[in-house]
Amino acid sequence: MKKRRISFITVSVYALLLLGTASWISIFMIEKASLSLLFSEQNLYYAGKFFKGLFGIGEESPAFLNVESWKNALDLTLETLFMSVMATGFSTIAALLTVVPAARNIADGSLTLVKKWHGWLSFGAVRGGYIFSRAVPELVWAMIIIFIFKPGLLPGAIALALHNFGILGKLFAEVIEDLDSRPVRNLSSSGAGRLQLLLYGVLPAALPRFLTYILYRWEVIMRTTIVVGFVGAGGLGQQFKLSMSFFHYTDITLLLLFYLLLVFAADFISEKARWFIK
Amino acid sequence: MDKKWLSFELHKRKILSLILLLAFIISLFSIEWNKDLIHSKGLDTAKQIATAFFTPDLSGDILLLAMESSWTTLSYAAAGMSLAIVIAFFYGVPASGIIVADGKGKRYIRSFFRGQLGFMRAIHELVWAWLFVASIGLSPFAAIFALAIPYGGILGRIFADMLEDVSKEPIKGLEAAGATKLQTLWYGYLPMVRANITSYAMYRFECAVRSSAIMSFVGIGGLGYQIQLSLDDLHYDEVWTFVFFLIILVIMIDLWSNQLRKRLVQ
Repeated sequence: MKKRRISFITVSVYALLLLGTASWISIFMIEKASLSLLFSEQNLYYAGKFFKGLFGIGEESPAFLNVESWKNALDLTLETLFMSVMATGFSTIAALLTVVPAARNIADGSLTLVKKWHGWLSFGAVRGGYIFSRAVPELVWAMIIIFIFKPGLLPGAIALALHNFGILGKLFAEVIEDLDSRPVRNLSSSGAGRLQLLLYGVLPAALPRFLTYILYRWEVIMRTTIVVGFVGAGGLGQQFKLSMSFFHYTDITLLLLFYLLLVFAADFISEKARWFIK
Repeated sequence: MDKKWLSFELHKRKILSLILLLAFIISLFSIEWNKDLIHSKGLDTAKQIATAFFTPDLSGDILLLAMESSWTTLSYAAAGMSLAIVIAFFYGVPASGIIVADGKGKRYIRSFFRGQLGFMRAIHELVWAWLFVASIGLSPFAAIFALAIPYGGILGRIFADMLEDVSKEPIKGLEAAGATKLQTLWYGYLPMVRANITSYAMYRFECAVRSSAIMSFVGIGGLGYQIQLSLDDLHYDEVWTFVFFLIILVIMIDLWSNQLRKRLVQ
């Protein structure tokens, strides 16, 4: 047994090295990407121009000296914040509604001592849904959803929620799988129903870790809001894209500044909140 | 007084849950809930997209194209991760402050490198990609650097945290035997965190594949690029083919990294 374990790791390491080398080779050989071309005079000129633009050098009215654009950026920041909270809320609700059949110890009946014929069926279906929803990146969800909804905060929130639904669901299910099963079994043997088991047995024990995961995902969602904005889902990202298309580089500096502030604020708040419930 | 404080302690979780719920409800008011939210033909489109899900385009050229772009996506992810690991190593070691003597200098070096790592990972990879494309043009390197920077930031931070959490006895043993700081790093710290950092890097690699797929949004090739092209042509059946390829790719990496992690961390 031990010999096989070592060999799997060694094979994996070699496979990874091979994959890395093959990737670099294919990038250099097949796609003919060259580093020296990257630093050609022309590119340097454009890069210089771009960065000068970002800092507003040679610009008559850079956006960060303009009260109007500050106000605008502040509004967008608030919108982005709302979008992230909404997305977190949607995905949490969806994950909480589906998580019970997705836990392995509920599917095989070891947690509740009740085995249902559809246990494994619903387990497979829900887990499959989780895998599907988290394997598709937020941006792809957003691209598809923008065909159905009008550009705005809602499609962005839904796209973010769809991706995070799978992640939160999986994390929640793992929390339930790690639970101490004795209190729940007690409840179950004294005749508690499914909902009562969830409310009085599972939720109190799992809540702290659920909250931790929700806060952690909120941080990540905050960072990703800007990305779904790129395809027209509102917030800072949408303005970022527009400014990029209009070559309003100083606007971008301002937007990036607000974006960074938002991300750091989210990190700070979620860290403090997690510390609060510890 | 004492009892009151105790009950507050007990109810902290409920209070936080309530605050979060309240924030969610407030955020719902930022949208005007009416029919204008959906395109006039939005539901029909939704139906078309849903039916296309069951009839993905499986013709030969599309499959070939999908495989080709899967490789592009995978190769960018692998190349980006290899650079990210290099970044993580050269930033993570000073950010953990283990190779510097204790004192004021250590604190400054730590916060300097930790701050830089924080900045790297604060900006999403797609934003980096956009900045790179705007400055160096459409080149695979834009995608690779854009992946390498935020992933390097995350990996570096985790690497630094792991190095700081290493149990100190073996290190002290090495120091007592006369090892220099560099030698304690090489023979003490690194072997102890190797399994954990490898397993974390494998997990990030899976995320990198997903991120590399969306790099295409700024015009860099790969699966996401094909998804976008097909969406623009309203060929929803092709969209799902590419999405399925992406899912298969992600699941394969996921399974592999799960197996590897299970064996590594024991």
